[in-house]
Amino acid sequence: MKQEAIHSYLENFFRASGCDILDLRPRFIKVKLTIEMDKKLMNRPFYWHYVEKIGARPETQTLAFKTDPAGEEGEFVHFGSPRLHHIFSLSKELGRYVRLYENARSNGGNLPLYPWLGLNFKISFQCDLKRDELMSLGINLFNGTIVKAFQETVEALPLSPKIPDYCYTLAPMIKPLSAVNRLFAVIEAFIHRQDDAWALEAREKLRNDLELLERFYEDMEGDAYRDAFEKERDALMEQYKPRIHVSIINGGLFYLTGTAF
Amino acid sequence: MQPEIHFDRSWCEALDKRINQDGPWANWEMYKLAYEAEKQLAVPAFSGLVAPNHLPDLDVLPHQLEAARTVIEDMHGKAILADEVGLGKTIEAGLIMKEYLIRGLAKKILVLVPASLVLQWTKELNEKFYIPAVPQKKAYVWEACDVVISSIDTAKRAPHADIVLRQDYDLVVIDEAHKLKNHKTKNYQFARQIKKKFCLLLTATPIQNRLDELYYLVTLLKPGYLGDAESFFKDYRSGKNRVKNEEKLRRLINKVMVRNRRADTGLNWPKRHVQSIEISLTAEERAMYEALSTLKNAEFVEGFSLLTLQREACSSREALYVTIKRMLDRHTAPRLRDLLTSIIEKIQAVKTNSKAEKALEIIRRANDKVIIFTEYRATQLYLQWFLKQHGITSVPFRGGFKRSKKDWMRTLFEKNAQVLIATEAGGEGINLQFCHHIINYDLPWNPMRIEQRIGRIHRLGQKHDVHIYNFSTKNTIEEHILRMLYDKIRLFENVIGELEEILTRLDIKQIDREIADIFESSDSDGEIRIKMDNLASVILAEKEALKLDETGSDS
Repeated sequence: MKQEAIHSYLENFFRASGCDILDLRPRFIKVKLTIEMDKKLMNRPFYWHYVEKIGARPETQTLAFKTDPAGEEGEFVHFGSPRLHHIFSLSKELGRYVRLYENARSNGGNLPLYPWLGLNFKISFQCDLKRDELMSLGINLFNGTIVKAFQETVEALPLSPKIPDYCYTLAPMIKPLSAVNRLFAVIEAFIHRQDDAWALEAREKLRNDLELLERFYEDMEGDAYRDAFEKERDALMEQYKPRIHVSIINGGLFYLTGTAF
Repeated sequence: MQPEIHFDRSWCEALDKRINQDGPWANWEMYKLAYEAEKQLAVPAFSGLVAPNHLPDLDVLPHQLEAARTVIEDMHGKAILADEVGLGKTIEAGLIMKEYLIRGLAKKILVLVPASLVLQWTKELNEKFYIPAVPQKKAYVWEACDVVISSIDTAKRAPHADIVLRQDYDLVVIDEAHKLKNHKTKNYQFARQIKKKFCLLLTATPIQNRLDELYYLVTLLKPGYLGDAESFFKDYRSGKNRVKNEEKLRRLINKVMVRNRRADTGLNWPKRHVQSIEISLTAEERAMYEALSTLKNAEFVEGFSLLTLQREACSSREALYVTIKRMLDRHTAPRLRDLLTSIIEKIQAVKTNSKAEKALEIIRRANDKVIIFTEYRATQLYLQWFLKQHGITSVPFRGGFKRSKKDWMRTLFEKNAQVLIATEAGGEGINLQFCHHIINYDLPWNPMRIEQRIGRIHRLGQKHDVHIYNFSTKNTIEEHILRMLYDKIRLFENVIGELEEILTRLDIKQIDREIADIFESSDSDGEIRIKMDNLASVILAEKEALKLDETGSDS
């Protein structure tokens, strides 16, 4: 992640979380935190406990960040800095569920909006190594149409948290939970189309190491050896056993015009 | 065939609830930022390292990156890191840890290091790698914290051992693993019992020609990899301690061990120019030094040794005075007080300091930054005053300074002063590479301390040759030390780290103690010389053996 991208990420994050931006220059940003952000970012539970107990007027903190290491003021933020990772995980926590409406303008008469479920997935392929793949899918809850790159498409649309005037939503024919299952099935089919050489190799490595381990313990008898053997065998399974994990990063309901897709 | 797929449905549960309660819903910007964060954090491929992208201000050398990559991709996370000292094994281990943490392949990590290194490891992992490592201080830490650093001696004791053995560690790192060479020890047995998915063993000594060390370390890492002990030794040991089938063994070992050598790193190591400088005492200084021997038979000595007084006399009259004064304050026996009073008279008769004059000469000639190391606070103060008299700016440096004061003094030295007068090497992380001259004003008896001093300026990244001046006063105990450690063995002309390897191999933990014993138990100069010669030849022999090991394994 480039320093410019980090700078705009910080700016967007503090705007989205409602903090006051006191100063904004290239590679520098200074913000006054909201109460919620102060609680989440600053880790000072005793202060908040005290303020709330005596009913004092809380004073939230001001933070300054620089994305240029040579900058004079502020905490230097780069891709590895714990602060950025904290902010990443806060956005993941705060941005898990949405409900949005396409801000469509009706040409007289009422305009129908179709209900969609959009989900962003993370697929992790793991053995002793690991890689991730992200995928965004959407399903039309009215007619079952499934589209890829859903997120990228809706990001280009004007969206609003409130239903626009002269628009109405069509009732979904598919329940959200069964829609999730349909999308999981799409993901599963996608996974089966992927190269599986990594899993075969991992199983082979596991088999080899297990054989060596078994031979090593073959002639040793007694409970202590059996326990040691089992512990080491379990560790080998954890090390190599190939597995795939699919999780939902975030998702939500999108009400879109018929021309959106 | 693709393996089993696990679908995490935890997201779905809250969805229905939110639909029914009409929220709360995130704002669209935050939603996009969450997806963007995952995009940034996702690891795109099985191979390659992502950790360096997270560590923009860490200077990683090519051989360190390659070591980390090899361990993760080719050795599947179980390896012995056996780089020669000074090449940055800690950096390699930190990189591997970071890579596994980022990829989500390790969460629970245990780092076992010698007790004296616990804080240093904690600091390095936190400051250089942003890994939230915690030193184990209370029993709850084992379970509550993900990355824990402890000494193996603590970890193996009750009540800790039971807790540690109950944990499922994703990664276990053991520093100075050559100390586990004896498989019958409690430490070895304990290390074996820890459950570990990935494991790094760090060792500074070249173990490839020491069959049993090698066998038991590899077996700790991967039980069964070298087969059972009996057939291993049958296959690879010839005679008492020679290796046979070396080529085959090497191929086997190379799959579990990374060993970088200085010569292979392609880095330019600056040279060390070491000069021994013998200094003649003035008549007054000589009289002061000799007067101390009147104390030899005085039956006082609890808490003070003659050797200490003699070493102080070699440093400065100020250093000696402090101790003699303290003795005077503490003792009432008239005979002893008479002796001490007459020594004080001798001290007062001394008007010059021959070593200080010599130091001044070197500083002027160098016309550059110089660090002076002395063992004594009083000498440090005296030198500051003395240099000031001659128009030379200096700053003091002591071990007791807080970190911020150390950094401040370092900056003062770099920007405003010509000389830094230090009473100790100043600890890790104080980088003094802008300086190229060191005066060892008094010689410590433990050569590792000299090595650490030199290590402040002679390290990876130093671009100039460095000059080291070892002072010793003629016809004093210092001369013996200089002869043995500095002239005979020529220890400090060695490449970085070699001395540490030699001493580790010899297992001479407290070489200064050994030397003190020689002085204290000898009746004559001749006896001292013979015993010192013996010690020197032991060290020399080990140095030769080390060379053989290294060339042997290069062939």
